[in-house]
Amino acid sequence: MFKSKEEYLEILTKGIWTENPVAFQVLGICSALAVTVKMSTAIVMSIALTAVTAFSSLIISMLRKRIPSNIRIIVELAIIASLVIVTDEILKAFFYDISKQLSIFVGLIITNCIVLGRAEAFAMANPPIDSFVDGVANGLGYSMILIAVAFFRELLGSGKLFGFSVIPQFIYDLGFQDMGLMVLAPGAFFLIGLLVWLKNTLPGISTEKR
Amino acid sequence: MFENLFNKDNKVYVVLFALATSLICSVLITAAASGLKDRQQENIDLDRKVNLLRAANLLPAGTKPPKQEIVAMYDARIRDVIVDSQGNVIQKDTKDSMHLYFVRGEDDPEAVAGYILPINTRGLWGKIYGYLAFENDGQTVSGFSVYSHSETPGLGGEIESNWFQNNFKGKKILNSQDKFVSVGIAKGKVENLPKNKRENYVDGISGATLTGKYLSEGIKATLEQYEGVSISFRQKELRAKPPTEAKPAAES
Repeated sequence: MFKSKEEYLEILTKGIWTENPVAFQVLGICSALAVTVKMSTAIVMSIALTAVTAFSSLIISMLRKRIPSNIRIIVELAIIASLVIVTDEILKAFFYDISKQLSIFVGLIITNCIVLGRAEAFAMANPPIDSFVDGVANGLGYSMILIAVAFFRELLGSGKLFGFSVIPQFIYDLGFQDMGLMVLAPGAFFLIGLLVWLKNTLPGISTEKR
Repeated sequence: MFENLFNKDNKVYVVLFALATSLICSVLITAAASGLKDRQQENIDLDRKVNLLRAANLLPAGTKPPKQEIVAMYDARIRDVIVDSQGNVIQKDTKDSMHLYFVRGEDDPEAVAGYILPINTRGLWGKIYGYLAFENDGQTVSGFSVYSHSETPGLGGEIESNWFQNNFKGKKILNSQDKFVSVGIAKGKVENLPKNKRENYVDGISGATLTGKYLSEGIKATLEQYEGVSISFRQKELRAKPPTEAKPAAES
């Protein structure tokens, strides 16, 4: 039932780096635009998405031999949606302040293509533990991009990190201005585009075979 | 038909599987929702109280003391009041009665140091709920807070940030001719407005013009609705005792 460490490591690197959901599969862009204005929301969103992807992959993989193929997408969605709603309720009950900050985005995890994509592409064909690891890996891959984008957007867009001002006043006095574009969605588009380009040109790690 | 019930593609099996999935999922969600409801309601009530105290400048922004402290402070300083449309305090709900909160004086619980109006308006994506607090002169805003909204985080969502809410402090709802004009959200900075309007506007949020517009409209509608109360305050009828300044109770 258990595989060797190397095999899990391979699934992990695939999800986090070589087949990164945002930079390689170009999934989950919509929420990557929406929650990356601030670091704090990006991080909570990353944790929530990683948890949901991991557990939905686990559950779907356990049921994979039982799920009828003609209603599989609906079943997958029902499982994902239930998990997301339960996560949302738990956040509201125990982490009220954070859940308030994330507002509608927790609910929108349901529509995040990464979750359904992993369920459909990986969990339906692989054993539970592999699927769980794959879910965690893809969640982490998404988190990596999300946090990188949020870092630059918050730094350049509002001169802050985690809500604390980090750009010293004298730089503003010299004429530096916060970049309004970074606060808006197009700023995230540019950043994600640059990150995809960076990832695919890094020597030796690119998986794009022509 | 039934010989292969556990065959994945048997039609009866598909229907049964779908039913079972729906049943299990709904039981799970219902259990989570109803099991955690009390806790969530508690959080929501507490959050509402925190925001009420914050609007009244009794709690510094960004701090959240333990629950007992908040409840004690709320009980000591806030009073629920019902008024009729003319602004007279009444005892029971009537058809056109309105609810608001009086801030009790720090030393004298019977004195009225200010009042707080509930704001309930449409925003860009959903309702915005908050509080707007006034000093007992009936025209100076002492604070503003938002406890529930669905605006875009980072853009319209900035209405819950400290810099935006602090803007409201000291603004007037009367213009220089003492006529009612409400307090609005400017497009851009207040500095760019003509001098005689600056008292009635707060800095806008860039990228959130519509949120600002709806919130301005909502505040104006609420103020018009409660204008009777504000007028009584201006005419000093509701100021039972000399004004005691509202200080953060934490200092006492």
